[in-house]
Amino acid sequence: MLFGDVDFSALILPDSAQALRAEVRAFLAGELASARIMPHLGHAQFDREFSRRIGSRGWIGMTWPKRYGGRERSYLERFVVTEEMLAVSAPCAAHWFGDRQCGPSLLRYGSEAQKARFLPAIARGESPFALGMSEPNSGSDLASVRTRADKVEGGWRVSGQKVWTSWAHVAEHFFCLCRTCADAGDRHLGLSQLIVDLRAPGVTIRPIRFMSGAHHFNEVFLDNVFVPDDMVLGEIGAGWRQVTSELALERSGPERFMTTFPLFVELVRRLGASTERRARQAIGQLSARMYALRRMSLAIAFEFSRALSDSAMRDLGTEASLVKDLGTFFERDITEAARLLVDVEPCPDAGDTFERYLAECIYTTPVGTIRGGTTQVLRTIIARKLTGAAAA
Amino acid sequence: MNEDQDIRTLLADSARRVFADHCSQEAVEAAKKSGWSSALWQVLERTQLTLVSIPEPLGGAGGTVADFAAVLRIAGRYSAPVPLAETGLLAGWLLAASGQAVPAGPLSAAPAQPAEALTLSRSAGAWRLAGTARRVPWARVATRLVALARYQATDWVVSVDPRRCVITPGSNLAWEPRDEVRFDAIALGDDEVVPAGAGVDLDRLYLRGALARAIAMAGALDRALELALTHAKTRVQFGRAIAKFQAVQQELARFAGEVAAAAAAALSAAGAVERGEGEFAVACAKVRAGEAASTGAAIAHQIHAAIGVTEEFALHHSTLRLQAWRAEYGSETYWGERLGEQVLAAGAERLWPRLTE
Repeated sequence: MLFGDVDFSALILPDSAQALRAEVRAFLAGELASARIMPHLGHAQFDREFSRRIGSRGWIGMTWPKRYGGRERSYLERFVVTEEMLAVSAPCAAHWFGDRQCGPSLLRYGSEAQKARFLPAIARGESPFALGMSEPNSGSDLASVRTRADKVEGGWRVSGQKVWTSWAHVAEHFFCLCRTCADAGDRHLGLSQLIVDLRAPGVTIRPIRFMSGAHHFNEVFLDNVFVPDDMVLGEIGAGWRQVTSELALERSGPERFMTTFPLFVELVRRLGASTERRARQAIGQLSARMYALRRMSLAIAFEFSRALSDSAMRDLGTEASLVKDLGTFFERDITEAARLLVDVEPCPDAGDTFERYLAECIYTTPVGTIRGGTTQVLRTIIARKLTGAAAA
Repeated sequence: MNEDQDIRTLLADSARRVFADHCSQEAVEAAKKSGWSSALWQVLERTQLTLVSIPEPLGGAGGTVADFAAVLRIAGRYSAPVPLAETGLLAGWLLAASGQAVPAGPLSAAPAQPAEALTLSRSAGAWRLAGTARRVPWARVATRLVALARYQATDWVVSVDPRRCVITPGSNLAWEPRDEVRFDAIALGDDEVVPAGAGVDLDRLYLRGALARAIAMAGALDRALELALTHAKTRVQFGRAIAKFQAVQQELARFAGEVAAAAAAALSAAGAVERGEGEFAVACAKVRAGEAASTGAAIAHQIHAAIGVTEEFALHHSTLRLQAWRAEYGSETYWGERLGEQVLAAGAERLWPRLTE
């Protein structure tokens, strides 16, 4: 059974984490009060200055070794910082991918020179990364990527097209998953990860406008882009293993159920001390769902935190898929409850925070159940684990 | 592994063995008529599984509420036809938290409904208990009924011999005894009446009842999912096991999500009650487990198709309990409204702090 032997009753955050929470919460309250940040729901906003301020406080790469700019704090403390940022929809995009995926991958697979170059810069909030995974014909089926890298003297020549690359137009580098061996037999074996400079000759970035008009997605065209050997991440041919090993981390975090949370807060504000039964029930139901999801996400965070010390980690990849599946539907439930309980016309340029958040959530709600693994793919993964069938 | 987890593992292993041995399809079926399984109860007492979270000096095993929750989840999984939660988490707690030793034998607690009150009076040096408690679990098989009653605007804990009450049998959807108990000004001795201990009141009794049902639902969901998985892997239609069909897989995955959410909420709430901060957590757990029961029971039946709705097949023991337990000690409607009222009264700025305390 999933989460079978997890002792949920004992998941209590240590005092150090709760103390840090108070610190982060006070900092964010100051940022909001002084209007240095302006929350928008849906896609985390890109704000280099904010990321620098976060970095200077030691809240990026905080679990990494000090020699790479980290703070050697616990994974649970990182969890707390993440959820506090999400609770106010802080503009974390300029450090998000570096903090969550690229940094941990570099620590695990990167060369000494790569670690020394990138990690301290990411931790300072000064090295925005993007992720080059999806392609026009490769969405859920990531192993079908066709961007190829050919070996040349001193490096690789990369050609192909990446799509849905969030913030590529303002990021500096991206992790590019590409095919380094065309006939490896097993299609998972011919893949590698390269660190590509997004300003290198041959890279063209074009916006893909979101249906709200916002620009965060891009397509990235790679035309014979030279990538030196020292920018290969990990081993040639190990790209699939390297990418999938980080998926549990990606799928179970609070970002999978908190993107519409600020709307929930504004909904509570708007309803006030409503005595309407329907309103109370809906708020109670959402609170209960949120409580359960957070406990599940926390269980995975505790497991990561233990793994840092004894490396005997249980495989909670399926559980992580499950948190994402439930979480993205919960995000949708918040939007729907807000619509049904407060009868207003959603308006993207409304001065009222509730009405603006509602509009932003309606725009982005369909994305939650798509990005990072669609509902259908996640459920297939879960069902395979449940029925003991081999993975595809 | 720390010491607490070792104890938990031993308890769970022992509980699994006992329930597996005594909760066969025949045994659970037979209990529909007899009301319970006294054979199972004897073994549970012998293996010290009935009073896990009662302090040792008062007759228990000295464990935590979370320890007992692990046992109650397994009892729920096996549809165990015994008043285990009523004895160890409700009646036993009323007594122990009021400084009284907990007697052996199956116990139950009253009232079991939110707006009910029993009245204690005293005249000529004798105590008398009056009132009616509806839908008291297993009243007819209990050796003592422990009631919370009002006397001079304070709460008192009363231990009553059920043979002195008027008991009208009733049952829930799964044929578990839920009896009406009338206390017709029953005379009680001084040793049967004590002032309620600190933290013992009607609301907390009801809260513990809700916790008990949420944990039991987590267990029943475990079982229903297990049965659905077994069936999906073995039932062949159109030339292949139905688990091979994506439409079936999607439902199984959704089911597993509900099961996990119910367990996460219920077991977390057990920890919160142990630490004396349970109200928010238990309300969340009862609502979430109730939702999971609704979705889970429906999917379990859909996967099983016709065989699942028969008396001879075990699935209904779990799904009917899920449907019954959803309503006991407060439905999703009751707890959802109560929870929502609290969240709204506390205001927007308190929502996030409350969730992260």
